Amino acid sequence: MRALETTPVPEVEAEAEAAPVILGRAIVITSGKGGVGKTTTTANVGTALAALGKRVALVDADVGLRNLDIVLGLENRVKFHVLDVIEGKAELDDALVRDKRSENLYLLAAAQSREKEDVEADAMRDLIEQLRKRFDFVLIDCPAGIETGFTNAVAGAGHAIVVCTPEVSAVRDADRVVGLLPNTWQPELIVNRVRPALVRKGKMLSVDDVNAILRLPLLGVIPDEPSVIVSTNRGEPIALDQTSATGGAYRAIAAKLAGIAVETPPVPVEKPAGMFAKLGAFFGGR
Amino acid sequence: MSGRRIVITSGKGGVGKTTTTANLGAALALRGHKVVLIDTDIGLRNLDLVLGVEKRIVFDLVEVVEGRCQLRQALIRDKRFESLFLLPAAQTRDKTAVSEEQMDALVGDVAAIADFVMIDCPAGIEHGFRNAIAGAREALLVTTPEVSAIRDADRVVGKLRDRGLPIKLLINRVRPEMVRAGEMMSVDDVTEILGVEAIGIVPDDEEVIDTTNRGEPIVLDENNRLATIYGKIARRLEGQDVPLTDLDPPKFLSRLLTMWR
Repeated sequence: MRALETTPVPEVEAEAEAAPVILGRAIVITSGKGGVGKTTTTANVGTALAALGKRVALVDADVGLRNLDIVLGLENRVKFHVLDVIEGKAELDDALVRDKRSENLYLLAAAQSREKEDVEADAMRDLIEQLRKRFDFVLIDCPAGIETGFTNAVAGAGHAIVVCTPEVSAVRDADRVVGLLPNTWQPELIVNRVRPALVRKGKMLSVDDVNAILRLPLLGVIPDEPSVIVSTNRGEPIALDQTSATGGAYRAIAAKLAGIAVETPPVPVEKPAGMFAKLGAFFGGR
Repeated sequence: MSGRRIVITSGKGGVGKTTTTANLGAALALRGHKVVLIDTDIGLRNLDLVLGVEKRIVFDLVEVVEGRCQLRQALIRDKRFESLFLLPAAQTRDKTAVSEEQMDALVGDVAAIADFVMIDCPAGIEHGFRNAIAGAREALLVTTPEVSAIRDADRVVGKLRDRGLPIKLLINRVRPEMVRAGEMMSVDDVTEILGVEAIGIVPDDEEVIDTTNRGEPIVLDENNRLATIYGKIARRLEGQDVPLTDLDPPKFLSRLLTMWR
């Protein structure tokens, strides 16, 4: 009967005495380079985690250029945003937007008409802490770049997922970002938009090539499908499409994060001749 | 001489600012103009990789601004296009290393020795963005036909208009077959939402990933259809009247249009 419950947001059980609150995991999804799929990843991994029964909050940290609401199809339901909560203009409960499809999934939207410099890292940390008391997973969608917006997005997190595409510029930026994350973290890697046919032809870096540079635990590989553009434009996460290979890859990542044993989808491993030489030469100096 | 000062910007990352800067710059150089490309993405530079000159960097933009080298020492000449130069960004500094006033002065110095100064802007609308537009006198807005890219572009249009910069639009990565199937917005949809005139429409081409990874701008291959398209955009930038390639797709995506009303 959970679907009929009227409580807008999952509440922590009222604790007797000083029962310890189990805090959820706060994970920032970051990349350095823009347009590699941070927002799509956040929406789809979050959707898939919620489908596994986890309570999930998605936080859009891209103040001024928010998009997570669009990808989830929730843009018309956003009333308050992160800054409203931080500045005390709205309660957290009122700002969390429940997903259309899942009762376990909530969005906290970014402010659209404000600047990233309006947010303080400490305030962001407090907000994420509040969310961790109520959700199993808090996924923070980081803006592109390594300026204030990046610093704020990372501030409240305890873990990072680095999204990278098989392009030298994306690999270089991802490498830079890994160096800016707290050095006690072990960020995990998602290689997005892999086209196995191009990898085989030697016209695209393979996952191995990318990870020969980054050397991060591989969380998942997402194949490139035009249907992702369509699902993003329509606001319907592809993770819900049981027939899609891309959707399946996101579901596998969610299962891994949730600690459910899954078979990792096959990864194109062919080494294209020539291309790695450029990458290797470029990064070789360190 | 004072050359044109054009910033290539988008709001959203990954829509093709750097690829556009490299290819359009090369196309203008092929037409005989002296072109200087400035990478303003301090800390996350990539224009050097796309041009394949990453190993030839000695000095960078921040060192020029700080007076630690001459402008001409920092400029890297592209060996394939005689009149194409790159002023690379610093990689180990951050965007606050340069102020808007310093950037404006620097671009002014570059414009004194070039016909076209193409400023590659970082993603976002933070300090790096404000620096990049500070030196520009006109803007080339790059977007893809995706809801999120257009929303971000719309936000940037407002900021560019506040600065009084004239804006031209380049719509990148168009897939005509998806537009025809009603799965992608058409050029008309995009220009209607943004209210900006299109100066170029560039189709999606998987070759671009490969040429970018190899540091060879696609305009080098004169038989490539994208080379022709960038050549036409270069002529339009010069002020020539060259008709746009018409994909003539059906209208689509009322959801988006309602969002901006």
